[in-house]
This record gives sequence, C-alpha cells and structure tokens, in this order.
Amino acid sequence: MAKPAVFLIGADKGGVGKTTVARTLLDYFGARHVLPRAFDTESPRGTLKRFYPDVTEVMDVTSASDQMKIFDTLNSVDAKVTVIDVRAGELSFILQALSDIGFLELGRTGQITLAMFHILGPSIASLEEIAETARFVGDANYFLVKNHINETSFFEWDPETYKSYFKRIKDAQEINIPKLNEMACEQVELAGVPYVSFVDNKKYSFVLRGYVRHWLGQVWREFDRVKLVELISQKSERNIRQAAS
Amino acid sequence: MLLRNSITIVASPRPRVGKTLLARLLTDFHLREGRSVAAFDLNVGNATLAQFLPEHVTQSTINDLKGQMALFDRLIADDGATKIVDLGHAPFEPFFTLAHQFGFAGETHSRGIALVILYLLTPDHTSVEAYRSVSSRLPEAVMAPVHNEIFGVSQHRGRYGLTINAIVIRIPLLAPAMRKYVETPPFSFAELQSPGGDVDIDIELQHWFRQTYLQFRELYLRILLTDLKSSIGF
Repeated sequence: MAKPAVFLIGADKGGVGKTTVARTLLDYFGARHVLPRAFDTESPRGTLKRFYPDVTEVMDVTSASDQMKIFDTLNSVDAKVTVIDVRAGELSFILQALSDIGFLELGRTGQITLAMFHILGPSIASLEEIAETARFVGDANYFLVKNHINETSFFEWDPETYKSYFKRIKDAQEINIPKLNEMACEQVELAGVPYVSFVDNKKYSFVLRGYVRHWLGQVWREFDRVKLVELISQKSERNIRQAAS
Repeated sequence: MLLRNSITIVASPRPRVGKTLLARLLTDFHLREGRSVAAFDLNVGNATLAQFLPEHVTQSTINDLKGQMALFDRLIADDGATKIVDLGHAPFEPFFTLAHQFGFAGETHSRGIALVILYLLTPDHTSVEAYRSVSSRLPEAVMAPVHNEIFGVSQHRGRYGLTINAIVIRIPLLAPAMRKYVETPPFSFAELQSPGGDVDIDIELQHWFRQTYLQFRELYLRILLTDLKSSIGF
C-alpha cells in the first residue's frame, strides 16, 4: 500500500499565488486518479475552500486540535494526498507546530511522504525563508516554484544570491508556472470552480477554456517532469533501507 | 455520434494558390444545398471573400483575444450555420497552433461537428511538411486534399504520401475567357444570372461549377458515411 503524502504549499509573502499552485496540484492529482484532500489555513474563510468545497477543510494552525486533524486523518481517510495551503508568514510557524507533534519525524523516517512547495515571490527577500524551512523538512522533496501566472513584474533575482541559497538545499527542484491569459484567469476566478471543471464546462467561452486547458497542461507537464506521482507511489524505500542497515 | 454540422477550413501555407476561390465555391455549394452559411475571412488587408459574398462573410483576426473569441466561439456555436474559414497563408501557422492548444478538434468532435480541412496541394517542401504537421496536431479532423488544375496536371500524391485510393478534390481548369466573369465581384455561383448576358457563358460556368459541386457533395457524404459506420460500431 502506498504511504500517505503531505504537500505543504507555502511562502513567506502574500500574493505570490500559493492558492493557485494548490489548485493546480489538486486538479493534477484528481486527473491522475489520486484522491486529494486539502487544508486551507486562511481561517476563518479560505479561498481554496471556495474552489474545492468538497475536499477542503479550513483549519486554524494555532489551534492544537486543528493541527491534530491533519495528523489523525492521515491514515484513516481515503485520500492519499493531503495538500496544505499555508497562509503567508505562517510557514515557519506551522513547520514548528508539525515538528512539535512529531509529524515531521514521520516524514524523516519515511512513514509518510512529505514535500514542500516553496512559492517564490519576485523579490529576493523570500529566499531567506528557504534555509529556515529546509531545516525542518530535510532536502529530499523540496520544490522551488516560480509562479509567473499573473506576471506583472519579472523575477529580479541576483543570480549569485539565488545560487547561494539554492546550494543549501542541493536536491531542490525548480518548477515554473507559466503565464495564463489575464482574461481567462479572471473568468476562472469569477466562476469559482476548479480549473479542470472550467475546461470541461461548455457554458464558458471555448477560447478562454482553451487558454486554461493549454496552461494547465503546461503546469502538469512540470509536475510530471519532477515526478510527483512517482513521489507519492514509491514504497517506503527509506524504511527498507533503514531496516537493512 | 451523428454529425449535426460542419466546419471547413480552406488552408495552405502558400499565398495565391486558390484558397479564396475554393472558399467561394464551397460557400456557394452549401448555399445551393439550402444551408445557412457563415464564412470567416482571415486574410489580412484584402477582403476578397467578403466582396464576393458580402452577406455571408465575417472579416476575422486571431491576433488578439477578442478576435480569437469572435472566431472560435462562433465556429463551435450551435446556431445551425455551416461554417467556412478562408485561412490566409499568414495566419496558417498561428491558427493551427491555437487550434491545437485549445483542443479544437476534440471539442468539435464532442459537439457532433465535422471538422474538415480542405488543403491545397502544392509541390513545395513547406506545404508538404505543414500538411503532415496539421494532420498530426488535429487527429480528429478530416484532411481533404485539393488539387487546383490551374497549376498543371500533377497532384503531387507521392510527396504527400497519398495512396492511389486517396481521394483528391480537383478544381477543374476554367477556360481563360471565363475567368474574368468569375473574378469580378460581385459574383456568386449560387445565384448565377448570366454574367455576360450570354447563355453560352452561363452554361460553361454552370458546368464548371457543377464539377466541383459534385466533389464537395461526395466529400460530405463520405464523412457522413464514416461517422455512421463508426456510430453503429462497423
């Protein structure tokens, strides 16, 4: 049996598109026949909840009982993948909390798959967080996501600074989310439905659906490239290795 | 699935190979069959098709989102009209790139609309490559090769990998003396009224038009038959 997987989506800044990435990820797993569920930390009302009301629970990360909700249901629900959309600035906080309840330990020993999606903002400031978060999750499943969906400013990275941070997590992989046509993007927001439902619903403009379809396809190819499905379906390799050593 | 309507795209990556003439013939054919027709002219600058068939043609562009929505959304709209696109050589590649990205062929298929590409065969490498590229990008579309006899007798079947059984639609050579009538707008094969006031010219033109007309009819019958066969699991 495949072990449960948890994807943390975070950034230390707001407005870099965490929820967008979380949405593409939920669509992706749905399409790959992996039942996902999600936690939205934008308590009390979450954006993710609006798009995926059936699979999303809003949680308050500061509440111990809410923290335990993730933990307790990991093995008891049908969903194999848990996506947690972490509110801006709470990434370190939630990692500390997860560490305290022994959750990160499960990831380290390979009982669950833990992956971190770090959404990068256009300024260099957000890289400071990498060192901090990498300390918690280890460097195995660390993804740096450059989100260009509503590209208004280009990434202004100083390559040297970028590299110096990148080096700290040597296995970190980069994911690029391409730009989506503004009007198509806006229509999906208005519709308040998952991207796949928008693409499938003939009531919306074919051209706008076409743009979303093409864009989503590109995003999924990025996920395919970094082998997300393999990541969650791999058997507890590390357990085996540990047992053997 | 039973086909309810059709979208026909007249295409070639080369200029001046007879696309607009073919689009006119096709529009007139559908009008004569009693269908309502909406034609879209993507040629930049010269509105040749619109000059000939002002009531049925919309000048279109795919250079911006507004134009793309006006074209594609209208093409797949369930409004009972048969759609024809006169795709100029310039928007050839952008059009098929968008169509591929949007999943256009799949969408038309799921809506019960036949997607037909009338492709003018020319011997150049670009056209041969483009033919392959379009058929692989839009697998659900029906590729209908067309040979314009004004360019000689060779149909270039070998270059295009067309077998001896593949049907190529031929636009017969029109006597030079007749061309001036056909090429002076307004002129419609569907509403032919002795352009020169001469019965002989009229008969000659009718005869010429009829030859293409029958081939178009055959083409759509073949498509219907293929669809019928697949819907009964034949």
